[in-house]
Amino acid sequence: MALIEARGLTKEFRIFRRREGVMGAFRDLFQRDYTTLRAVDGIDFVVAEGEMVGYIGANGAGKSTTIKMLTGILVPTAGSVNVNGFIPYKEREKYTRGIGVVFGQRSQLWWDIAVIESFKLLRRIYNVSQEEFKARLKKFDDILEFGSFLHLPVRKLSLGQRMRCDLTAALLHNPAILFLDEPTIGLDVLGKAKIREFLKEINSESKTTVILTTHDLGDIEALCPRVAIIDKGKMLYDGSVDNLYAQWGHDKMEDIVKKIYEGCKPEQYCMIENWGDTHA
Amino acid sequence: MPDHDLPGRSRPVGFGNRFLLYLELVRMEFVNNLAYRSSYFTGIFNYTIQIGAYFFLWDAIYSGRRAIGGLNKEEMITYVIVAWVARSFYFSNLDRRVAVEIRDGKIALELIRPYSYQMVKYARASGEAFFRILFFAVPAGTAIYFIRPFGLPPDWQAGLLFLLAVTGGFVINSQISMIAGFCAFFTQSTSGIFRAKRVIMDLFSGLLLPISFYPGWARDIIKLFPFQTVSYMPNLIYLGKITGGAVLHVILLQLFWVAFLGLVSVLFWRFAVKHVVIQGG
Amino acid sequence: MSKQSGFRQDAANHIIIFFHYMAQYIKTKMAYRADFFIYVFSDLLQQSVNLVFILVIFTKVPAIKGWTRDQILFIYGFFLIPFGLYSGFLNHLFDVPEKYVLEGELDRVLLRPLNAWFQVVVETMNPELLIGTLTGIVIMVYSGNAMGLVPTWWDFPLTLVLVFGATMIYAGVYTFLASLGFWTEGNMGLMPMVYNLSNYGRYPMTIYRGPVRFILTWVLPFAFAGFYPAAILMHRYEYIGYALLTPVIGILSFVFAYRFWVAGIRRYRGTGS
Repeated sequence: MALIEARGLTKEFRIFRRREGVMGAFRDLFQRDYTTLRAVDGIDFVVAEGEMVGYIGANGAGKSTTIKMLTGILVPTAGSVNVNGFIPYKEREKYTRGIGVVFGQRSQLWWDIAVIESFKLLRRIYNVSQEEFKARLKKFDDILEFGSFLHLPVRKLSLGQRMRCDLTAALLHNPAILFLDEPTIGLDVLGKAKIREFLKEINSESKTTVILTTHDLGDIEALCPRVAIIDKGKMLYDGSVDNLYAQWGHDKMEDIVKKIYEGCKPEQYCMIENWGDTHA
Repeated sequence: MPDHDLPGRSRPVGFGNRFLLYLELVRMEFVNNLAYRSSYFTGIFNYTIQIGAYFFLWDAIYSGRRAIGGLNKEEMITYVIVAWVARSFYFSNLDRRVAVEIRDGKIALELIRPYSYQMVKYARASGEAFFRILFFAVPAGTAIYFIRPFGLPPDWQAGLLFLLAVTGGFVINSQISMIAGFCAFFTQSTSGIFRAKRVIMDLFSGLLLPISFYPGWARDIIKLFPFQTVSYMPNLIYLGKITGGAVLHVILLQLFWVAFLGLVSVLFWRFAVKHVVIQGG
Repeated sequence: MSKQSGFRQDAANHIIIFFHYMAQYIKTKMAYRADFFIYVFSDLLQQSVNLVFILVIFTKVPAIKGWTRDQILFIYGFFLIPFGLYSGFLNHLFDVPEKYVLEGELDRVLLRPLNAWFQVVVETMNPELLIGTLTGIVIMVYSGNAMGLVPTWWDFPLTLVLVFGATMIYAGVYTFLASLGFWTEGNMGLMPMVYNLSNYGRYPMTIYRGPVRFILTWVLPFAFAGFYPAAILMHRYEYIGYALLTPVIGILSFVFAYRFWVAGIRRYRGTGS
């Protein structure tokens, strides 16, 4: 059975629109104006154990919402989802023991306490044995090299340092799946390289399944044999990177993705379309 | 084309323009406050509850007694209501805002802008104060008047002078808040200092207890500080307990404290800016 | 393994983690020792405002509606005990609407294998404010002594039960208000309002008019967090019926509020609204 299996996954939000200006603020007091937004629109997503999948899409395409559903934070409006043998939103406290999550935009560590203390607290929360904890820290430190700032509070770390710590924190309990939401955002070239190297290592050695969203196609090229592209809540492409190149001819990935976001189809599809809507 | 009209190059700022900038900030802050829809309703209730607590308490304290500390029961209840309603006007979050900007290092950005940091803060506080008059003080006062009528000023002159004195109280309270906010240059968490400030203001401005209730030695100490010009003295003007030349005395006293606190905060600011430059934000 | 023992293990786990959070908290606070002590000192100062108020008033009058200075102090002293517990652990449920719901900190909480309410409480606690509890005990002992109160043996276990009940009332009321944030998507400003109302509980109910007394007893039951239990502890038995209701009201309000919290979490995650 697949490790992640989502079918017809859909999420809708109701959004409150503020009116403009002084009079608008007054009117908002008495009557609110809502609109429904379908952030994720019936996507299918199946991932096998040990895979490393890049999940890309423009801002607001629905990436983060998908990740939040897969990690059990959000409950889908429709569709089914099963991850690691659980329905994520149903048995949250049990399910979250088996996953690790990193949000690039927001640290999961405690802001004011030393990094190592954060790790120790997480060890308690996830019930990791002392030996395992030490062994894993040592192993991660070999690549990520956080030893020098292990005793600084998180708020004093640079973005790159913080991200290395966040990654470690997400993996201390050896989760089956690692979800990464824009893990390389704002990092310099060396920082990105280090994180990519680490993710590769984790994926090949511990067989950790990795799902990562990103805006940096370099992440995909370096890490993911498979890529899923989402736009306006719909899945536009889900398959191997090689196939993507093959479909679009020899092009730069950036150009391909740009075209997909703009709504183009690969040439062969376009040709078929010219004959009439016969393909599925 | 005159040189200073070139696009992208700002003109040297004259006093008039500077003033317009501050006026614009006042307006902006007013509109900003409007956006916080929830505080409309709850803010008024909040003050009503506070006032209610003291109303019941004073009502019970005065049961069977004519006058305490120079005020009879009706005057005391008026005093409490007026003090709290006036507070809903002069109160501001200036201290907290300044402290947050200092802690986040935003203050360094403010140093490269062509305006006076303190004046910008006062302008915004004034915008908030206008908002508070319209949406807190006036409706709260009116609502309370319908629930429990309280005394009005003896004549319109007293009412006008009261408003003048409360405005003075607003300026002094803002200055004290500004100075308290600057403490963030020197300590990491300022919540302790703000609480201490609040305690001092509550007790020594006359908000909770008229100063005349305190024993003589305490009154002598309180006299040395600006706090009682924020609440106690304006309230007595409202009640008609301070009249004629004594009102002038209060206004002059306020002017003195405005000048004094202004000087302190300018010096404090200069010292702190040096501190920021050395620390690099 | 039976469900029962699973629950017990889970509870034990939460307690262990609570102490780990506590240890971390102390470590961070000790990094800024001066600030920490200013903060604690300012809390004492804040308590002293009410004390000054009471003491000054009683230099002018001998009694308030028949209640003497020592009795009023005794009620205030009892009031401070559960209030200190609330300040230390539950005050920052205040943050839920803005920080956790609006700014999305709750996402992080929901990713951890621990109870969400528990996490919010341990992440935002300020246990140093337990100092209020200590102040309360001192005031109670002083004023009880001054009025010549002779405690009986059952006053001590009774105090514990009453303090527990009163604390649960705070937990219930503030959990309920925090949960409202899941629907309002932002701070409604209700918390300061209720906070101010909770201060009504530190004076004898006899100074309030009927409707206010009714609200403080049956709607936002802060009378049970101060006056009623304090009355029985100073052996004023005319309020014994109310006083003994304290733990019942406390448990009821917390259970109700917690269910509301669970519904709020469900809404946050997007199940039904």
